Amino acid sequence: MKKILPLIVAISSALFVIVGIFFKESLSGWLSVVLNWAIVLSSVALLVVLARLLITHIGYITSGRQGFIYSLVAVFAFLFTLIAGFLAGIDNPAYLKWIAGILRPLETALLGLVAIVMASMSIKFLRERGWNALTISFTISAFIFLILGLGLVQAIDYAPLKQVIRAIEGLPMIGARGLLIGVALGAILMGMRVLIGAERPYDD
Amino acid sequence: MSLPDLVLGIIGLALTVMVFSYLIKDNVFFGIALYLLVGVSSGFATLLIIRSVILPMLISPLTQPGTQAFYLALVPLLLSILLVLMLFKRGSRMGRIPLAFLVGVMTAMALMGISRGTLAPQVLSIFYWFSPGIVAGWSAIRWWGLVEGIAILIGVVAVLTFFEDRQRKISHKSPSSPLLKGVSKVGQVFLGVTFGALFVGILSSALIALIGNLSAIVDFFSHLFAG
Repeated sequence: MKKILPLIVAISSALFVIVGIFFKESLSGWLSVVLNWAIVLSSVALLVVLARLLITHIGYITSGRQGFIYSLVAVFAFLFTLIAGFLAGIDNPAYLKWIAGILRPLETALLGLVAIVMASMSIKFLRERGWNALTISFTISAFIFLILGLGLVQAIDYAPLKQVIRAIEGLPMIGARGLLIGVALGAILMGMRVLIGAERPYDD
Repeated sequence: MSLPDLVLGIIGLALTVMVFSYLIKDNVFFGIALYLLVGVSSGFATLLIIRSVILPMLISPLTQPGTQAFYLALVPLLLSILLVLMLFKRGSRMGRIPLAFLVGVMTAMALMGISRGTLAPQVLSIFYWFSPGIVAGWSAIRWWGLVEGIAILIGVVAVLTFFEDRQRKISHKSPSSPLLKGVSKVGQVFLGVTFGALFVGILSSALIALIGNLSAIVDFFSHLFAG
């Protein structure tokens, strides 16, 4: 019974949503109720995950584990942001300015770091994988799109060249389409496995 | 420059230097900057969730006893309590019911969304190039459109064959036929082209962020010294 009940809940809720989407006119009211429950529950699940994160870091601090200073920073920053937000109000411009003043430089600096790391990783990738169809096409494509990204070639007013550029710019869409279709087929397969109870992620 | 702006500018500068110190070596300052990001963003996310979802969709209906909204809010309340019990060892099994409900709803939404929003449009956009209206146009056959359509069809089939070939290698199944291996190589070329273009796109965005960050630091110093 302990294993059957979650299975029944998962399959019946999935079937209800699918039926509700197909028969929207008669079931739209109940469908929106169920979707609202799902929104509330996913938010509570996220809060539970954040609480678990906080508890784990507090555990690291109290046990004095190596690198507990990082946990101290995370817990202090979490509590400070939360309490200040409750006291000042989340819409308070001064509060938002301080939060943005901390988050924006961190995020942009990390993104800048990503640029440098990505450039070095691409060279490492080529060294480790050697020259094959994937790496050669990757390198040529990156080189061509870097040049096209400068916008200088597009400035040349020559009709056949413009047509060639248009064809080149359309090439990545072919691989992207293959990727999207592959991912979609995989996701549908996984969804069907959940629907028939062959996959039970809630049991793990 | 006002005092809060000055303090925020100094904090921003310090945080930027702390993040870029990673380029020398993975060090304590970089770790502190990362954990600060985790702490502040998770605290802000908690506030947003409570304000935008929990209060209006769960707590507010529960303050109106006897109404339909009140009774409808009892179900997520009960399921939420079961979820919260997962924080304690004894209650961890109880959380499987709300999780199963969430998995069920998300699976159904994903199935419908992906089949109607991704798979069908992508497949239809391939067949679009072979529709009589596009191929024949108004009078003569449009060869360039047909060539483009065939290239797209071959590319997509080749990419999917590459995935199949790779899966065979991972699961140690019998090797593919030489024809499939050849098609898989073509798929690799198309994937390489896509990844190359994606790489350039991400790299450019990251570089723009880097330049923006550096120019903000320059602006801060020029404002500071200008008084």
